[in-house]
Amino acid sequence: MQCFLCVFILQVTYKWLSYTLGVHVNQAKQMLYDYVERKRKESSGAQLHVTYLVAGNLVQNGYICHKVAVVREDKLEAMKSKLATIASVHVYSIQKALLKDSGPLYNTDYDIIKTNLQNCSKFSAIHCAAAVPRTLAEVSQAHTSAQIDSQTPNDMQVASVPVTNGQVPSTAKQASQQPKGIMGMFAAKSSSKSQDTHKETKPESKETIGVSTASSKPPAKGNTMSNFFGKAAMNKLKASSESEQAKEEREVTKPSVPAAEPKLLPTTTVEKPGKKTEPVKIQKKDRKSRAKRVDLSDNEEEKEAENLKKKRRRIKQPQSDSSDNEDGPASSISQEDRAPTPSPEPPPKAGLEPASTEASTGGKKRKRRRVLKSKTSLDDEGCMVTEKVFESESCTDSEEEFTKAKPASLHRQSTAPVKKDPKEDRRGPKKGAATASKANKQVSIMGFFQKK
Amino acid sequence: MFSEQAAPTAQGLLAPPSAEPSTFARAPVSTYTDCTEPFRLGQRSFSRQYAHIYATRLIQMRPLLEERAQHKWGSGIAMRKLCELQAGEKCCVVGTLFKSMQLQPSILREISEEHNLLPQPPRTKYIHQSDELILEDELQRIKLEGTIDVQKLVTGTILAIYGSEKDNGKFLVEDHCFADLPRQLPMRGPSTNHFVLLVSGLGLGSGSGESLLSMQLLVDVVTGQLGAEGEQSSAAQITRVILAGNLLSQSTQSRDTINKAKYLTKKTQAASVEAVKMLDEILLQLCTSVPVDVMPGEFDPTNYTLPQQPLHRCMLPLASTYSTLQLVTNPYQAEIDGVRFLGTSGQNISDIFKYSSMDDYMEILEWTLCVGHISPTAPDTLGCFPFYKSDPFIFTDCPHVYFCGNAPLFSSKLLKGRDGQQVLLVTVPDFSATQTACLINLCDLSCQPVSFSGFSADEDEGDMEIGH
Repeated sequence: MQCFLCVFILQVTYKWLSYTLGVHVNQAKQMLYDYVERKRKESSGAQLHVTYLVAGNLVQNGYICHKVAVVREDKLEAMKSKLATIASVHVYSIQKALLKDSGPLYNTDYDIIKTNLQNCSKFSAIHCAAAVPRTLAEVSQAHTSAQIDSQTPNDMQVASVPVTNGQVPSTAKQASQQPKGIMGMFAAKSSSKSQDTHKETKPESKETIGVSTASSKPPAKGNTMSNFFGKAAMNKLKASSESEQAKEEREVTKPSVPAAEPKLLPTTTVEKPGKKTEPVKIQKKDRKSRAKRVDLSDNEEEKEAENLKKKRRRIKQPQSDSSDNEDGPASSISQEDRAPTPSPEPPPKAGLEPASTEASTGGKKRKRRRVLKSKTSLDDEGCMVTEKVFESESCTDSEEEFTKAKPASLHRQSTAPVKKDPKEDRRGPKKGAATASKANKQVSIMGFFQKK
Repeated sequence: MFSEQAAPTAQGLLAPPSAEPSTFARAPVSTYTDCTEPFRLGQRSFSRQYAHIYATRLIQMRPLLEERAQHKWGSGIAMRKLCELQAGEKCCVVGTLFKSMQLQPSILREISEEHNLLPQPPRTKYIHQSDELILEDELQRIKLEGTIDVQKLVTGTILAIYGSEKDNGKFLVEDHCFADLPRQLPMRGPSTNHFVLLVSGLGLGSGSGESLLSMQLLVDVVTGQLGAEGEQSSAAQITRVILAGNLLSQSTQSRDTINKAKYLTKKTQAASVEAVKMLDEILLQLCTSVPVDVMPGEFDPTNYTLPQQPLHRCMLPLASTYSTLQLVTNPYQAEIDGVRFLGTSGQNISDIFKYSSMDDYMEILEWTLCVGHISPTAPDTLGCFPFYKSDPFIFTDCPHVYFCGNAPLFSSKLLKGRDGQQVLLVTVPDFSATQTACLINLCDLSCQPVSFSGFSADEDEGDMEIGH
């Protein structure tokens, strides 16, 4: 032990010695004392400064206070005389230089504890039988059961909870990674690319009760909420005109997978293989209803009606794909939510809708998808006006969008004999282009005015 | 208690290394029951009005108060509701107190454009000479005057008043009474010395390192690293540590980031992240050696309204692997070794402090016990969850130890109730300011402060104070 101090060390505390040598703390204290005594007897000239720990009773404010203090050697006797009863005295540390204050003592102790966190009570004088670290399985069990307990009162949807939470075989892995996933959520600060609305797997309209507060922030403004969900949340949604993909992905992601892990989904329409998708939403939704609300908070439309509409849009999706003519009856459903309007629906507004539509389609890809959707509204002349609305915020998709825009506008002219239609058509593709170029930018506020 | 046991071997470690260092086994907790069920909120819906709390509070406490009133003023007195009052008739009325205070911060006044008022600066006390007391029951309210201490009482107290209604429509109070201490179950304490350590206000993340060494000393004493053998063996009898709130310091709140533009604060981390990491390490050290109950406080990352829910275990990944770590609610209620503990992190007491003339935390603590309600000012001035079925803050039975955290000073008192109840009242001081914790002996319900200190440069002259 002598060698430690012979080698140039500024400071040795009993704790440092105990961990370094692997001895009981009391032995370490005694070794320090022993060393001091011997060195002083030798009077080899090296000045050693010692601090002591004194503990005892002190009358203070009318109470008998048990005082524990670290004191320098020169103050030791003074302290001892103050105490009515002395409970313990021992060497706390030895250092070569005189300490002005006890800060460095703390630092030494802190460092050595930090490096020995896992067995910090190994050399202590007290052993606690109850302090046994739980095994991973127990931890996950406790975690899951706590979650289910908190989930079931919170969630009102029936299906998802037992399906995803109750999967005991995968629970261990899931739960053990869930804490990490949650930590990932807390820790990850991803740069905000323009994210758009996150998809939601099922339009759980009940979930949206608490949604109201959040953002009427346009999505491109770098939501902190999406930061909240980690880097994988950054990828853009791809507009899924494929409901099969939506369904398929739903099934794929249902067997729950660790939340924070980005997952490449086997979708046929992945045109950007590099991008990872985030099935986070499902698990998070299932795990926490709040995540769901955060999810939806990222949508530009948070009203419950809109979510109902998303439900309807989902149904409409396959129809819109197949044939435009069939859009009529389907589109009419959406009318209930909006006042019938003869005015054109501009693509900026369309930007809002497809954004949420994209969300509702449950595209597991976070890329922005272009959604072709028909809206039928009642003209002031009583004519049905069917408009194709679409929006894409991804430049790469813009070309496809144009091609689709043209047939859409043509179709529009054929279905609805309203004077304003030509105008709409012309404005439509133009706006589509404009919005395509503005893919990563904030949705214009004009969208609100044109929406009517 | 500690010191006397330890004194004989005090200087034992000032000696060459001995052969066998002794290890002591931590005294096990024989029974522990967590009674925080009423304070745990499952589904939280805030769509309800707060009036329901008052309604259920009155309904629950009315029978109690009527019994007390009859006990005090005779069983022949007339119990009246406010709607049945007749002028001049001496009767007893039970109701909820409302104190209309001129200085009470009101959000309506703040946002009222007509007044063009600046928001009121925060004060220590909001009492004023012109405050008035009004008694409300289910249907009506009436102003009170007479022998009743307007300054001392606060809104939300349920009490019974005895007097008569005067011609001017006010009620002239001759006497009043509260619910008083509830019944107490007998204490089946341990036969040997078992201690519980109460600490509050660790204040991590404050950026000032003064109390860090003291905190480390505390942990070392509890885990048995510090002290000579006698002290270590005494420390082995500490069966539990309760951290009563404010584990994080107020400076971790960093509210200024709300006002800053986003681009300035994007890469900055919340101050509480570092603080929670430090807390995790400290808890890990404690948990490897002793069962710990962690209560959240005013500045801790949990909900603001009472009852505060436990901290989430994901924030403490290292410590939560140990089953000795218990994350509990604020207020906290448990039965440890047959002794019933009930306590809060201090928000209820400090709120009453602001709106009452009472100055001493111990006095307020005792007063809440006499009134029969942990926090009468909730939800008026203290945030509270809108309960409607029952008010969980009403004392159902008398605890053996009743504490509040984050008090400015340590104090303890053994209160004896009328029906033979014995309660140890403890105000746990703020550790970051006083470096003092409380040690409670479960065997005889006594309490001792324990203080820690290091040394600093400015101690060369003058006396050593408690902590610095």
